[in-house]
Amino acid sequence: MKKTILVILALVFFSPSLFAQENSAKNSIQKGHYNTSKFKQLDEELPTPNNQHNASGAPGYEYTQQQVDYKMDIILDDEHQKIFGEETITYHNNSKDALEYLWVQLDQNMRAPNSKSNDINGGGPDVLYTPSKFTKTFMGKPFQGGFNIDYIKDANGNSLNYMINFTMMRVDLPKPLASGEKFVFKIKWWYNINDYMADRGRSGYEPFPDGNNLYVIAQFFPRLAVYNNVKGWQNLQFWGSSEFALEFGNYDVSITTPKDHILNATGVIQNPKEVFTKEQYKRYETAKTAFENPVFIVTPEEALAAEKNRETKTKTWKFYAENVRDFAFSSSRKFIWDAMAVNFSGKTVMAYSLYPKEGNPLWEEHSTRVIANTLKVYSESTFEYPYPHATSINAERQGMEYPMICWNGGRPDENGKYNDRTKKGMIGVITHEVGHNFFPMIVNSDEREWTWMDEGINSFVEILAEYKYDPELFPLTKYPKNIVGYMAGDQDRLTPIMTQGDHLFNFGANAYAKPAAGLFILRQTIMGPDLFDHAFKTYANRWKFKHPTPADFFRSMEDASAMDLDWFWRGWFYTTGSNDIGIKEVKKYHITDKPTEQAKNLAKRYGITIDELPPSLYLISEDSTDYTDELKSKKPEDYSILNTYIQDNFSPEEKATLKSPKYFYELVFEKPGDLVMPIIVEFEYEDGTKDRKQFPAEIWRLNDAEVTKVFPSSKVINKITVDPDEQTADVDLSNNSWPKTTETKFDNFKRNQVKG
Amino acid sequence: MKYLKVTLILLLIPLLAFSVHKYYISLCEVEYIKEKQSIQVIIGLFIDDLETTLNNEHKKNFFLGTKKEAKNIDSYYENYLNVHLKFFINGKQQPYNYIGKEYDDDLVRFYLEISSIKQLQSLEIENSCLIKEFPEQQNIIKIKAKKFNKTLYLSNNNVKGLLNFQ
Repeated sequence: MKKTILVILALVFFSPSLFAQENSAKNSIQKGHYNTSKFKQLDEELPTPNNQHNASGAPGYEYTQQQVDYKMDIILDDEHQKIFGEETITYHNNSKDALEYLWVQLDQNMRAPNSKSNDINGGGPDVLYTPSKFTKTFMGKPFQGGFNIDYIKDANGNSLNYMINFTMMRVDLPKPLASGEKFVFKIKWWYNINDYMADRGRSGYEPFPDGNNLYVIAQFFPRLAVYNNVKGWQNLQFWGSSEFALEFGNYDVSITTPKDHILNATGVIQNPKEVFTKEQYKRYETAKTAFENPVFIVTPEEALAAEKNRETKTKTWKFYAENVRDFAFSSSRKFIWDAMAVNFSGKTVMAYSLYPKEGNPLWEEHSTRVIANTLKVYSESTFEYPYPHATSINAERQGMEYPMICWNGGRPDENGKYNDRTKKGMIGVITHEVGHNFFPMIVNSDEREWTWMDEGINSFVEILAEYKYDPELFPLTKYPKNIVGYMAGDQDRLTPIMTQGDHLFNFGANAYAKPAAGLFILRQTIMGPDLFDHAFKTYANRWKFKHPTPADFFRSMEDASAMDLDWFWRGWFYTTGSNDIGIKEVKKYHITDKPTEQAKNLAKRYGITIDELPPSLYLISEDSTDYTDELKSKKPEDYSILNTYIQDNFSPEEKATLKSPKYFYELVFEKPGDLVMPIIVEFEYEDGTKDRKQFPAEIWRLNDAEVTKVFPSSKVINKITVDPDEQTADVDLSNNSWPKTTETKFDNFKRNQVKG
Repeated sequence: MKYLKVTLILLLIPLLAFSVHKYYISLCEVEYIKEKQSIQVIIGLFIDDLETTLNNEHKKNFFLGTKKEAKNIDSYYENYLNVHLKFFINGKQQPYNYIGKEYDDDLVRFYLEISSIKQLQSLEIENSCLIKEFPEQQNIIKIKAKKFNKTLYLSNNNVKGLLNFQ
């Protein structure tokens, strides 16, 4: 009988909340609810795994992917800023389905006079209008952009039916394309190239005062949309913001330009002897062994001479690119070209930079070295860079990526002077855009649907690559603090990361910085680099040259690490919640062998006398009426029941290792924030030493609002801080310390300002 | 029962089609501390954008946040803010004290204070910082006053926001 009482006592002791529950539930029937736990598994949010995207987050055994090969002849008309193309497309239907039609993307139609891309944007009058914007907006002089389709024919020259819906074109097939078959067809097209400096855009030309143009040409040919078992045809319109979903294939492309242009593109030049001068060709070849420092292929002097020309004769550049998802090129008379070789397990990859003299001296100092650094760091985090080159083009106000080639802004002033910020911006954008070769050019997520899957993941690896290049210019301590301002914003203007890219407020913060900060927290604080890096690498290797979905990423990260992260994905990616954890209360306790008020009540409740309680020690709080100051000086071993127990049960060696806590701190952590996060708590003792403890986020699983913990200590604690290094994107630091600091950031600044 | 009445002609300007990962945003935190009769303002702007703006305005290179920065840079800052950031308290424009600035990574933060505000019935803020040079600029204002938290989003379409506290 006595044993039973003890068991009951023990139970009650461990769960004091039972009392409260009994009382409140008496008179009313409480409402039930679904599982609202923040730790509920994501099964209802994630698509059901299947044989193409399996439950581990890997490609399934029946995974298929279409292939599209292009053979194109392109003419760049520099004089009239027009581009003409004839392309032969070979579409391989590797899916198990028969297709009645093909969807082709016509991104340039976003710039057509009848484009609907501005119609979806609300807004009153702007405060100011540039003359070109005014005529365009109000005076009926829109830019005559958009594709002009000359013909669409099958391999035998028969015209094919097609229908254009804004930026998507349906090409009807004469008969359904069976699984395993291929279909060959031809499209002839042209369009007016836009001045992107005036109109913005990811492609177009930059005019220079000297009369030359610098072309960055992309999304420039009709491209096949993706067909898969996730979306069917991915034919969401191109509104100008959400990027692309494209199939892998081989590209055989010839580009005709004025004879004095210098050009690089996706793929490898097939006729270098024809397009370079003898000296340039020699340098092009010797650059392949320049592993230490960049060398010139086209020198500044040659570029300076070329930009004074206006050659009317043409030349044709021939490129071949294998297993890429897109093709882009850049061309100008003004290009200087430097190069450096990077070694990957005996395979040489070329880092190329093409820039006008206006980019120097910044570009020749950094661009190619930044490319090499980016390829190395990303390769360590994922897989060895598989393409033959990575090229960075200096185009003002750009930052845009394509396979093997990208456009990057950043130039010194007209005197060639630049400060750290210009340098930092330029290094940052090159790292970012070159990094995109991995996400999404190779780990080929659907950008139209999920901007964060390439931008967010890429921005995360970018942090590591920039830090490697220049730790002083790119300190890691900035993260994840950088996202706090955004996450603390008005909820009406926040969207979850898991939102289609065209429907986001604050594109940059939502799709770039927040997912990157989230992955940073996962790596540094929640999983640790070892577990994280292996899982991240697993995801990248599983999906290289394939089309992963968000579920594949979430599942792979858990599958390869044995960490249940559903709570993190749910909070950080599926909601707009923010993190705020604080210290609500700190109570100090001391040891006594006299039953406390609570112990007496407990005994009474079960009808036993105090003497019948088992021999015990009690923690008594300093604010209790039974508390006396003399308890402060007592050590645990001063109490005979404990001392006897220790003498009877431990060897001398064991005794030597026992701690002797004198002070007991009951900490109540509060969580006003919606997110769950680990609790990181730092104790500062009276002797100035510090101690730190981290509790997993699961500490919140049974109570989302507050949680209590008791900390024994042999020394007096002077200060307690939650998340002292700001590792968890806590949006309100005013409740993070005990004793509370009341000084605002403003007061603090003002005080220091007055002092200084 | 007092309601916070927000009179705002707020127009959402989705970011235009641009590919660069840079974004044009400023954050201005405004807090009314009744006990001190003070409105504390912290506004953070991207240094590079502010530099472009000041360079164009004064036809010189300021090298903000570097060793080459001019000694009297604060007076340029103060002048710029006085033109582009205005506070109307209870219907009347109130000047502020320029307490100082701090550089933090890409940002410069300005600390401004409006004193002797005994009563706060309405607060109107005009913020046209950086909009002239960067039409996509979004100026976010976070206001904390009388237990209310409100965020205003100002842009090229609309550079003013008004909060009524009665």
